[in-house]
Amino acid sequence: MPRGARYARHRPNPRRSANFISQPTHRPCVAPLPPLQLLPMASITGSAVSFARPVKALNINSVSFSGLRKDNVAFPLQTAPQRFAVCCYAKKETVDKVCDIVKKQLALADEQEVCAASKFQDLGADSLDTVEIVMGLEEAFGISVEESSAQSIATVEDAANLIDDLVAAGKS
Amino acid sequence: MRHRLLLRCAMPLPPPQPPPTPRTPGVAGGRLFASLPLPPPLQSRSEVHVWYLLPDELNDASQLKMYMELLSPSERKTALSMNGEKLQKGAVLSRALVRTTLSRYTECKIDPRSFEFKKNKFGKPEILWQSDDVRMECPLHFNISHTSCLIACGITMGTPIGIDIEEKKRKTAKSILSLARRYFTPPEVDYLAKIPDPEAQQKEFIKLWTLKEAYVKALGRGFSGAPFNKFSIMLAAKNGIRISVDSNSSCDSLSENWQFALAELNSSHYMAACIEDDSRTSGSGNGQLSLGLKVWKTIPFVEDTLVSGTEAVKLIC
Repeated sequence: MPRGARYARHRPNPRRSANFISQPTHRPCVAPLPPLQLLPMASITGSAVSFARPVKALNINSVSFSGLRKDNVAFPLQTAPQRFAVCCYAKKETVDKVCDIVKKQLALADEQEVCAASKFQDLGADSLDTVEIVMGLEEAFGISVEESSAQSIATVEDAANLIDDLVAAGKS
Repeated sequence: MRHRLLLRCAMPLPPPQPPPTPRTPGVAGGRLFASLPLPPPLQSRSEVHVWYLLPDELNDASQLKMYMELLSPSERKTALSMNGEKLQKGAVLSRALVRTTLSRYTECKIDPRSFEFKKNKFGKPEILWQSDDVRMECPLHFNISHTSCLIACGITMGTPIGIDIEEKKRKTAKSILSLARRYFTPPEVDYLAKIPDPEAQQKEFIKLWTLKEAYVKALGRGFSGAPFNKFSIMLAAKNGIRISVDSNSSCDSLSENWQFALAELNSSHYMAACIEDDSRTSGSGNGQLSLGLKVWKTIPFVEDTLVSGTEAVKLIC
């Protein structure tokens, strides 16, 4: 599935902004957030999420989370290029379920890591995989995903965030 | 021996030389070149040239290293961020294929390493031409598609192109009809539902999928700019491939003046190509087999083989 307009515009380098939240209805992270430790990121979603590679540094200027200060960062900031905070406000169960569905669809080996920050493209998902994953998520969570929203999902946590939003909207 | 020659001759690539005399397509193997053999030029706007490679044939470490060095730093970084060696290799080969193919169509005046790319506002990759360049004279368009075992790059002159490939035997986790009902149009669902044999049905689904993907990629407006359920593709032996846009659709970006070609590639894949159709105004209509397709199998810098007209490329429509 070709990546969408809105998302592509904000991502001149697909690698950099994997974790950037760019939705217009941006909400700050649910408080309280544990102090950010970037290696490993286990504390963010409360699960044993571990990253295959080091996560990017913060760009304090473009992130408006009240709880974050330079001191919270476990390693020296880099000023350039721009890097973004990891913030997944979706529930742990949602993230886990998405990971399961993705692993199954892509027939990944058990040892292969899928976590909140995993990019579908990096996992080898092509357009047909992506639509099947979206269908799987719709069935598992009882939601309906619009093409335009589906197009902006690049990572597991994007999907989890969207799912939780849709589920919450469905309930209200 | 070959590897050492590769390293010595190919790295670093020499400055652009006067183009060598065009090589006869179909001459396989042979000497190693510091530049790439020139293909026959694209004759018209309705000609599509496709170059493909098979990653499983490319296991030589020094060869892969050479391809890696054609990439820009950010492409290298992106490739290495893929999950696992196979995907990383695929990503490197994809970019190497794009760069070497484009270089051929500039008569090798442009080194594969010099191309720069940008994305249009919907995310479609395009060549970033230098403003002071002779490159502006040749408005090359390209599009790439890959599966785990085949990577293809389509090239045209002066017309947007979309290309999509898929394994013929690709099994879906969801049932064909449930996927079709969710993403395709009612006429397409009906067409698939009428096919009694599940294997035949699966094949027709894959054909439709690649055609629809090729159209969306040619349009370059992203999946949401051309939702699958807003246009129908019809495959008919006589009329070839026709597209019709849902007249109730609010999508004004969708147009019907596009030509398609569908072929079986390497006996393993379906390949769909889609380009803009100039001829609509002249009344020849779409669905005519006016799209000229030429296909090469390549191992860049090693071997090029013209495969259109052979068993490796079977035109379906």
